[in-house]
Amino acid sequence: MKLRHLVLTASAALLSLGLSAAPQVGTAAPDFTVVDTKGNSHSLKDFAGKNVVLEWTNHDCPFVVKHYSGNMQALQSDLTGQDVVWLTVISSAPGKQGHVSPAKADELTASRDAAPTAVVFDESGVVGKAYDAKTTPHMYVIDKAGVLQYMGGIDSIPSAKVDDISKATPLFANAAKAVLAGGKPDPAVTKPYGCSIKY
Amino acid sequence: MRRVIFLLFYCSMLISGHAATTGWQTAKHLKAELVSEYQQVTPGQTVRLALHFVPDEHWHTYWQNPGDSGLATSLSWQLPEGVTAGDIQWPTPHAIAIPPLVNYGFEGNTVLLSDLSIAADYASDTIDIQLQADWLVCEEICIPAEAQFSLTLSVASNALLADEQSALFRQAQQQLPQPLNISGQFDTSGGAFSAVIDWQQPTDITVFFVAATELVDHAAKQQISQQGTQLLLQQPLNTYFSGVDDQIELVLVSADTAYSVQLTKSRQTAAEILVTEGQQSSTALWLILLMAAAGGLILNLMPCVFPVLSLKALSIAANSTQQAQQKRDALFYSAGVVLSFVTLALLLIMLRAAGAAIGWGFQLQSPYMVALLVYLLFALGLSLSGVVQFGLGLMNTGGALTAAKGGKGSFFTGVLAVVVASPCTAPFMGSALGYAVTQSAPVALLVFAALGLGMALPFLLLAFVPGFARLLPKPGAWMDTLKQVLAYPLYLSAVWLLWVYGRQAGVDAQALLLIGLVCVAAACWLWGRKQLAQAGRVGAGFALLLVLLALVLPVLAPKQAAPQVQSSDTQHWQPWSAATLKQLREQGKPVLVNMTADWCITCLVNERMALNTDSSKAALALYDVTYLKGDWTLRDSAITEYLRLYQRDGVPLYVLYWPGQPPQVLPQILTPDTLPQTLARLSSQP
Repeated sequence: MKLRHLVLTASAALLSLGLSAAPQVGTAAPDFTVVDTKGNSHSLKDFAGKNVVLEWTNHDCPFVVKHYSGNMQALQSDLTGQDVVWLTVISSAPGKQGHVSPAKADELTASRDAAPTAVVFDESGVVGKAYDAKTTPHMYVIDKAGVLQYMGGIDSIPSAKVDDISKATPLFANAAKAVLAGGKPDPAVTKPYGCSIKY
Repeated sequence: MRRVIFLLFYCSMLISGHAATTGWQTAKHLKAELVSEYQQVTPGQTVRLALHFVPDEHWHTYWQNPGDSGLATSLSWQLPEGVTAGDIQWPTPHAIAIPPLVNYGFEGNTVLLSDLSIAADYASDTIDIQLQADWLVCEEICIPAEAQFSLTLSVASNALLADEQSALFRQAQQQLPQPLNISGQFDTSGGAFSAVIDWQQPTDITVFFVAATELVDHAAKQQISQQGTQLLLQQPLNTYFSGVDDQIELVLVSADTAYSVQLTKSRQTAAEILVTEGQQSSTALWLILLMAAAGGLILNLMPCVFPVLSLKALSIAANSTQQAQQKRDALFYSAGVVLSFVTLALLLIMLRAAGAAIGWGFQLQSPYMVALLVYLLFALGLSLSGVVQFGLGLMNTGGALTAAKGGKGSFFTGVLAVVVASPCTAPFMGSALGYAVTQSAPVALLVFAALGLGMALPFLLLAFVPGFARLLPKPGAWMDTLKQVLAYPLYLSAVWLLWVYGRQAGVDAQALLLIGLVCVAAACWLWGRKQLAQAGRVGAGFALLLVLLALVLPVLAPKQAAPQVQSSDTQHWQPWSAATLKQLREQGKPVLVNMTADWCITCLVNERMALNTDSSKAALALYDVTYLKGDWTLRDSAITEYLRLYQRDGVPLYVLYWPGQPPQVLPQILTPDTLPQTLARLSSQP
């Protein structure tokens, strides 16, 4: 009896995993439910009709620090000002580097003058893995219909130097602009760069 | 203290000219120095420079392809005119796993070599080298750093080695992958990076590293397989793959050496490079022979061999009183089987050499051959039923062999068993055949001989192992009953072949064949009467005429253009074509390919038992799998090509394509669970 139960559970788990294949641009973005720093729950389907940006972050990562020198905050206020939902996702597991308390996350937002719609937690890594998120930062753009339109790097020069931001092609910003205009980004898939996500 | 000593050392170097090292620069978790192999250089010389990293324990820097995260170390040189620096010569990297991600990099003493070329007309007596190095050093967290190094080398008419640095350069040399000037191609179709490399070395490659970034899924399983003189590699593509250069560097690592190879992008997108499951590494010949023998043994259980098997069992039981006779029979039978296999192999090799796109099972692809087999099986059935006695040996292949007793009869039973067995490629046989086809002729023949030996094994055991013989029941009246009962499997086999013939040639031709069967029946009846001395020469002559008529009838059969297409509203499959498959795979859809033929009973059983079931249909629907079916009943060269892609020479072949995964070849005998389980497993892989 126990064994049978085990087998059933295992196959159910396999089945549910089976539905989460690698994300693909041009197809429906994987749905998720996450809780933000205020304890509010957010699901992707709640944002139907709005463009959504997902930003994977880890405040101590030098590549994140590079873009929080002003670039990331500018992108956040620019896009949220145009009715885009911007979720900053922290996938660091408890005990791993980059894992922070809700209070600490809010304090980071305030001290860095960041302007995301919400900072959300993905302690189990389920959302990160569903999106095949690998680095911090790692950027995604989902359109109003819930279709994944962009995934990859924030810009074209993989470095931790602030000076390089102005020299790089702003791949993510261009993609977001294209999606807001109702178009398709080109390129839609780019190389993400940064620190590894501490799953 | 260390610093003081170093300072003293530095000063002493200054006195003797210019130092060959910049000395250590200390950054967080890593110290670095720039070292020259020569302390004094000469115009026209190429000197090696080394950026030497010593990170803290467990900290690492990155390879040119850093993997899922991280950043490759980069160098920017400022050099006087007439002096140029080459690219970094990367040491062999290590995979650093941080599940679910994988990085490629270096721990411990790391030396990045670059060549410095000095023009022959370089006039100044010093070279000022300025290097800016950028690196990322990580353990769990990452620290980017940059450092400036300046080094001055004196230029004179003779070069002077920096002896104290030679150990470092020796170590660096050892850590470099050995460049191999061999050709290799790669391809990125079908959701995977695949490569085929000319590989003469008998070395076992355990892991490979692709220098291009965002090409392979770094954490995914690598498939490495050596087949003959080819090394085949495969790994699923990276989620962030968006294109690749026409030429990439690849590092191959064996237990004690590493090699670097340049791969060029394959021009023929159609000729897909594939590494199939189950052929992970080069397999020893003896293992292949053993597998071939096992395959042959299992052939005895295949539906298409079973009637012949029962005949032979009966014949041995009939002779069980005479041990010597039994042994002789078994030996002759085995010889018949083995020789037939070898003959088939020779034929196959010859045809292959002639460039004919022909495959295993081709005997039954010609309708006339099928017609002859129908006659043969039917006549044998009549013989078992007692209408006619084909000598005392129960099995013979025609008039001339009718009288053959014992040895000859047994030999031809063996031959017949092989002819009938050939369309059913049992498990093991597929891979043994695939192996044989790619091998030299002697090896191929050996493999086929092993197949035959395996098939004959039960009879050899029966005759030579006393324990086996004792298991046989005592002879008696039951034997005649058994003989008559055994006629029915033969009739059924004939009906199956009739059906195959009907599918191949149409219902009119089938009717003609049935008339031919009536002729055969009449001929057998007349022959039987002659044996009982109830008919004379006229009867025998008439019987011969009837047989001739039966042989001519299938030739007169009207040709049918194409097999009829079944109605498509109830079927859950679509006809296979290479273009459809390619299109579906490009769309990123999962696809199941089933290569079948009407004359392949294993195929039909698999379809009924495992593919056309509700659970399999539901699984196909659940995962949105497109089911493509290829029909090899009539020889179809496109399908033959496709089979060969998977190192197969016969049907059935089941291949499951899951986007982002290498194609999965399913076993040749399917259980009802095979498909749903494989789909569940494939879809659960990230």
